[in-house]
Amino acid sequence: MPVRITVDIGGTCTDLVVSGVGDQIVVGKALTTFDAPEGGLWEALSDAARQLDLAPDELLRQTELFVYSTTRATNAILEGTTSPTALLVTEGFRDLLVRKEGGRLRPYDFATPFPKPYIPRHLTFEVPERIAVTGEVVRPLTTAAADDVIDRIRLANVEAVAIALVWSIVNPAHEDLLTQRINAALPEVAVSVSHRLNPVIREFRRASSVALDASLKPLMQKHLHAIDQWLRSAGYSGRLVAATSLGGVLFFEDIIERPIYLAKSGPALAPMAGLAYSAAEAGSGVKDVRDIVVCDTGGTSFDVSLVRGGRPVVTRETWLGETHTGHLTGLASLDVRSVGAGGGSIARIAAGGLLQVGPRSAGSDPGPACYGLGGVEPTVTDAAAVLGYLDAESFLGGRVRLNIPAAHDAVGKLGEQIGLDPARTAAAILTVAGGGAAGMTIVPIVEAIGCSRVLIPPTAGALSATGAHFSDVLREFTRSYPTTSAAFDHDGVVAAKRALDDEARAFGERLHGTGVTGFEWDYIVESRYAEQIWDLEVPFDDEMLNAPDAAARLRSAFDAEHQRIFTVSDPSETVEFLAWKVRARGVLHHPDIVAAPRTEPAPRRHRAAVFEGHIVDTPVLGRDDLIPGESTTGPVLVQLVTTTIVVPPRWTLQITDRGSFILSKEQS
Amino acid sequence: MTETIETLSDAIDFDPVLLPVLAGRFETIVREMTNTLFRTGRSSVLNMARDFSCCIVTADNDLLACAEGLQVHVLGAGMQTESMTELHPELAPGDAYLHNDPFLGNTHTADHTILVPVFYGGRHLFTAAAKAHQGDCGNAEPTTYMAFAEDIYAEGGLNFPCVAIQRDYSDVEDIIRMCRRRIRVPDIWYGDYLATLGAARVGERRIIELVDKYGPETVQQFVTEWLNYSERSMAAAIARLPERQLTASSTHDPIDCAPEGIPITVKLDIKPAEGKIVVDLRDNPDCIPAGFNLSQATATSGAIIGILNAIPEDVPRNSGAFRRIEVELREGCIVGIPPEPMSTSLATTNVLERVINPVQRAFAQLGFGHGLAEGGGACGAGFAVISGVDRRTGTERPYVNQLVVGSNGGPGTPTCDGWVTYCMPDAAMVVYSDSVEVLEQRFPMQVNHIRLLTDSGGAGQFRGAPATEVAFGPTDTDMTVYYFADFAQHPALGVLGGLPGSPVTLRRDNADGTSVDLAPIGDTTLGAGDMVIGAEAGGGGYGDPYLRDPALVLDDVVEGWISVDAAVEVYGVRLHHHEDGQYTVNDDATRILRTRSPR
Repeated sequence: MPVRITVDIGGTCTDLVVSGVGDQIVVGKALTTFDAPEGGLWEALSDAARQLDLAPDELLRQTELFVYSTTRATNAILEGTTSPTALLVTEGFRDLLVRKEGGRLRPYDFATPFPKPYIPRHLTFEVPERIAVTGEVVRPLTTAAADDVIDRIRLANVEAVAIALVWSIVNPAHEDLLTQRINAALPEVAVSVSHRLNPVIREFRRASSVALDASLKPLMQKHLHAIDQWLRSAGYSGRLVAATSLGGVLFFEDIIERPIYLAKSGPALAPMAGLAYSAAEAGSGVKDVRDIVVCDTGGTSFDVSLVRGGRPVVTRETWLGETHTGHLTGLASLDVRSVGAGGGSIARIAAGGLLQVGPRSAGSDPGPACYGLGGVEPTVTDAAAVLGYLDAESFLGGRVRLNIPAAHDAVGKLGEQIGLDPARTAAAILTVAGGGAAGMTIVPIVEAIGCSRVLIPPTAGALSATGAHFSDVLREFTRSYPTTSAAFDHDGVVAAKRALDDEARAFGERLHGTGVTGFEWDYIVESRYAEQIWDLEVPFDDEMLNAPDAAARLRSAFDAEHQRIFTVSDPSETVEFLAWKVRARGVLHHPDIVAAPRTEPAPRRHRAAVFEGHIVDTPVLGRDDLIPGESTTGPVLVQLVTTTIVVPPRWTLQITDRGSFILSKEQS
Repeated sequence: MTETIETLSDAIDFDPVLLPVLAGRFETIVREMTNTLFRTGRSSVLNMARDFSCCIVTADNDLLACAEGLQVHVLGAGMQTESMTELHPELAPGDAYLHNDPFLGNTHTADHTILVPVFYGGRHLFTAAAKAHQGDCGNAEPTTYMAFAEDIYAEGGLNFPCVAIQRDYSDVEDIIRMCRRRIRVPDIWYGDYLATLGAARVGERRIIELVDKYGPETVQQFVTEWLNYSERSMAAAIARLPERQLTASSTHDPIDCAPEGIPITVKLDIKPAEGKIVVDLRDNPDCIPAGFNLSQATATSGAIIGILNAIPEDVPRNSGAFRRIEVELREGCIVGIPPEPMSTSLATTNVLERVINPVQRAFAQLGFGHGLAEGGGACGAGFAVISGVDRRTGTERPYVNQLVVGSNGGPGTPTCDGWVTYCMPDAAMVVYSDSVEVLEQRFPMQVNHIRLLTDSGGAGQFRGAPATEVAFGPTDTDMTVYYFADFAQHPALGVLGGLPGSPVTLRRDNADGTSVDLAPIGDTTLGAGDMVIGAEAGGGGYGDPYLRDPALVLDDVVEGWISVDAAVEVYGVRLHHHEDGQYTVNDDATRILRTRSPR
């Protein structure tokens, strides 16, 4: 079995996961440091290597595939530390990135400042040109005008240029001309072009895509080069790929051309792990592995994604920062939503008597009251301490000794304001906090959405890095070929699909000898009713397309999808088929998830913990106290290195042969 | 304190955990309804601009949840459901009602509302409501804003005083046929109807699931407690204000039947001891024979919006909070209760902004930190209704649609500058903006520019946002453009030394090179190559511009929000212009300028 290493460098922790050495999947962890490009990579590698009884460089030498994922691109965008970038737009549309598409959350809020555009107005240059919806050149771009713009860019001292002209998707001539002139005049400047990066209708979305992409190029090209150098010097000689926001991987030389796919790439890997483990555990208590909600708890955020019908849900609306007011990537990526709730989130009573948790956080200094470092405000962690869910001695692997009475004080004072005792207040804080506390609150969360079964894989502490072991090389190819159900151009569509197949095949050929074991193509057509402007993805295959009634089959598939999502359909209305796509997947080897070895159970302990307002002398178990095939009924606490799993009454806990925990709601 | 303001300790008689959880669930349902309508709507005013709103109302006609609904759309939803229960004692599961009657609680005729009563265990518990501005509503002319219609007969739009459009989950075909016959774009209307109905049905489905899970008793108890909690939050916010009577006025530009303009005066009585604010709109002109009269729903909403804008607390927006706001209206008043057959065709825009603006501005009389400046509130070129025939595909396809390509400038506030994407006071910041490419694909038109105008935001310590100017015209066939812009003579005012924003502009540039100014309210028909060019209004400034941080003034100049001249003359900030093109603040000269010419 080929050895594969995946790493996810997050804001706090660096997770590194190894498969192929022995039969187990091994997780290494370290704190992320930002002083060197490789951050905590060596430490995480050493941690994993130690568990495998190998020297880190020896482990690297045995490795065939290294998957790299970093939060660096996302952070640079959010913190505004990307390279100085100019944006070129059609004259008259300088304010594309200022105005975005309008809209915001929280009407009546007049205290939040209007967000600054991703590229400032003084670095946005209007190009005297215009192309019409038909592709006709309404106002030609002269080389003199292009060069005039280039002179202004030169004065602006930027490292990158983003180009997004109106209707470049139907006639790219002007974008091409600008690109050629810039490449010739300013060869050291990185360029991103909208019709190539993201050929979709809607000028703001293309402009936003290229602005983000261009601004990342100098930075991420340098960074990926440094990672490559570092790994080579550390003894690695295998292939190097990076994770993308589509939940797949791409070779460094591909991603360096479109670094925007690095943004939010880590969280997009978590659904791949969710899919792999629920497939592996199918039969051992997990029934339907096609529809999964995947939750991943980090230090400061709670990420949720969805797998439907065995496929992770894809969106074109990925915002970095807040919806409407942050920065839109505009590209298809896995739909991962984040809530900023963590153990440090502070609980308070709002005017009117409502309990609120967050968005303020106590961070790690002074931290929660129970850290005993001077924090006095009650946090999610304090609430868990009050309820007896945390062990004072072994919190964070024993690095912090918890002051439980301090937590009682802080939570108790809050409770007095709303007339609740400390235990009820604490329970309330955990429920309101939602995702902030990992295994401690997962049961109330899933109960609220009507789930009755939870799978916690043994690698839950490094879900994204684990997911990279189950992801494949993924590229999407698109052909815009509009036709309708009323006048279906069957030959044209077949020809468009043939062109897609050619592109996908060419991509596939480049993957020869790179460890790809197979090739899978998923076909999708973006469709909508006449006069609608937002489309739905409808999967299709050769059988559908080659049938004599292909148009009827495609439209009824669309009607059904529209009915399913929106509760209405309009079978008498014309359906428009717009863009035809293939998601080409170069299947990589995926490790098997096999039975985990067992060790001796530790002596059994009990702790007073609160459930439903009652203090219960609750058994505290370790992983090895649980025997596969046997069910333990809640209330029970399972103490793990990274978290505590709280099994409330009426829920049962099982461990599988492979070391996953399965929580099930008892049938009432 | 009176007995209605409970102390916090005995305030909540309901699981304090479930309270915010269920409130969040209802908001989530409204967001799912909203997404359904947005993704499936056919006219661009819905599927791009999102000029529609969804909400959930209780069986007792209390507005419970409205998420990011347009302020003017949702606040009066309870009046509409009240007419539904009164007119339809036969109310049953599977019903859906079409309601666009401004005399029965709707905003104006162009807003079609679908009301779906939600039943559980045979009882009507909630109503899922979705309201959408139509591309066309059958008016006498191809516009959804009939400025000069002297009454509803001249307006001409189809009126549905809460009629059943579905029984047992099936369309009442009579009503569908009526709409298809009298609406200029029948297929688009039907698609929009399906989208609106779908949104309401999604709401129904989700509400039933929610009640299934928590039980009807718990959910009803939640409703009572949540509304009470909201009322307490509002009372607490008002209790922190000083006891004062405030008066402010705002004037709509002159029109034919009101040659002096339409002056609107609002009187506020802040009663912190009672935790209550009374808004008196009665001392205002009578209704006029034109489309400018407010409906009862919009007059009430206007006063409430102004207050919610000025109350910084995080008060939930529902009927519980509104119990603390008393709006006094008069029959026959232009900002009151219009008698039949008065036209209220423009009730969601023009005069409405003249209610919201003075209310939020009046609070600034309480001193720095209170209230807001006025926001721009014009519907000129950027919000015009366009119509014509699209012949690009060889067939004749009529189109009517309101554009949302421009924006008024938002008001300066006590803490920050105005929002560029403000839209207008009654739908502040929640409406989206059209994509130029999607518009050009949908309609035979070309948009030449959408640009923010330098120096158009009212100066202030916190600046009003600049106005957006747009230019567009037809590509081949004739296009009729309807616009109805106020704010040409009475711009958005600043407060506490802040200056007004820029006025509306509107002109037409003809293909032959000539150019004419257009009256801000009217219509014009463009031929190929002709263009309409216009800017909405800039927002008013908050506070003395001489107190604006010079670093912000510098940034404004670099970014082109204000000119170098304005920096000196209006803000008293002198800049160095360096040889490499960079600017810096000339601190000494600025200090001298600001002391020598106090404002």
